Amino acid sequence: MAHRFLFEQLVRRELRQKYQGSVLGLAYYIVNPLVLMGAYYLMFGVVFKVAPQEDFPLFLMVGLVVWIFFSQSLLGAASSLLDQGGLIRKARFPRWTIPASVVCVHAVTFAVLLTLTAAVTIAVRGTLDPALLLLPLVLAALFAFALGLALVVAVLHAYFRDVAPILSAALLPWFFLSPIFFTPRSITDQAAARFALEWLNPVAPFIEGVRSIVYSGAAPSPAVLAYVIAAGVLALVLGRFVFERMQGELAVVV
Amino acid sequence: MKLAPGEIALQEASRAFSVRADRGRTLKGLLLGRGGSAADGPAPVQALRNVTLRVSPGETVGIVGRNGAGKSSTLRVLAGIIPLNSGFAGCGGQVVSLLELGAGFGRDFTGRENILLNGALHGLDKPAIEARMDAILEFSELGRFIDVPVRTYSSGMFVRLGFAIAAHLEADVLLIDEVLAVGDEAFQRKCEAQIARQIDGGATLVLVSHDAALIERTCARVVVLDDGRVACDAPAAEALGFYHRLMGTPEGVSA
Repeated sequence: MAHRFLFEQLVRRELRQKYQGSVLGLAYYIVNPLVLMGAYYLMFGVVFKVAPQEDFPLFLMVGLVVWIFFSQSLLGAASSLLDQGGLIRKARFPRWTIPASVVCVHAVTFAVLLTLTAAVTIAVRGTLDPALLLLPLVLAALFAFALGLALVVAVLHAYFRDVAPILSAALLPWFFLSPIFFTPRSITDQAAARFALEWLNPVAPFIEGVRSIVYSGAAPSPAVLAYVIAAGVLALVLGRFVFERMQGELAVVV
Repeated sequence: MKLAPGEIALQEASRAFSVRADRGRTLKGLLLGRGGSAADGPAPVQALRNVTLRVSPGETVGIVGRNGAGKSSTLRVLAGIIPLNSGFAGCGGQVVSLLELGAGFGRDFTGRENILLNGALHGLDKPAIEARMDAILEFSELGRFIDVPVRTYSSGMFVRLGFAIAAHLEADVLLIDEVLAVGDEAFQRKCEAQIARQIDGGATLVLVSHDAALIERTCARVVVLDDGRVACDAPAAEALGFYHRLMGTPEGVSA
């Protein structure tokens, strides 16, 4: 990669700037999701017992870390080009490195959280299985998926300032429709509704795939694997295409 | 168009900017079918109108003109930061643009870390920057402040670091926008000497400034822009004379 060093520098800068001057500093990258998880556990694990899942906290956590990575990546990327407006107006460098560095920062956090969650889940549930070897493939597809969509929302938001607010509004219902604290099978008998929950929401197969490997100790179905790979590739192709088509005027609009 | 290293070409270059108050187009505007069309608000400002300019490798060109004449737009177009609406713009070889000293500095990064970041933005890799590190440190005269976050720097220190980095990049084309007017006199002289060294090394210089004396010292050729057009393109003395008449300032007095 020609811009590896630039990319590395931007990631460092992103990591440093966000919580600079606060007492816990970088720890917030881990603390925030943990607090979120605690709140959701309280809500869906203790107050409303929505799903008859064994080891519900672990079931919930595995889905949540995937969702947090996805949603935080998109939200962070959406405003990233405007945040770095000074740089874009005055210097020439590949613009995609800015949203991509945001996604990478969240990917690092995600890796830490997932490692913790997976280690505990596998230890508690005894789900160590050769299927674990498929996890890197699913995670690579998830990264490509998040990166592709992040490129799209980042460049769109630079031109149309409605994108970030719409996105952050959409993420809440999207969260509730994602199989994070339930499985589609456990909440509906209708085939159509189940199909929609499982396949029309592109995040659902990623959650299902990671959860199948880590929580159930079984390889995801071939359909899920094919879906996540296709979604990852498609998102990346789309993201590159849209970003390249629209990046020309960035120095003028940000 | 194939350009030799150090060669610069603008071919019937035109660029307009929309000047609506809300720069970001909204989805509402798009849905109502007037996204970006600037149907409301003032008409777009034409920053460059059919500008044609050829600069040979090693030339030193100053660009002068009143505010809004298109000087900075010319540089940003040449630097490849903004695209043209029509025409062609290009520079041959390695281009180093200094449109703002310290653009992109991370305020919480130390001077040394910012050298790495800034070098990376200019397309250098780590070994290339580290090879220049000592020279940059010495040039910047920052001493022990180099390991302190730049948010604690005075504005003079800030620009010294910014210039020190740019001064140590190998350039075929140097694009400089009014950034030398900062720093104390001694440092300005040092910057000028450094630019002169790069020109002696064969670099092409395009310098935008309101400082006629600086332009006269540094540039052999001067282009006067007026309202997005080339009003005069001549040897420095002649073009600066034209510029002073245009601006209504007596000759020999720097504007």
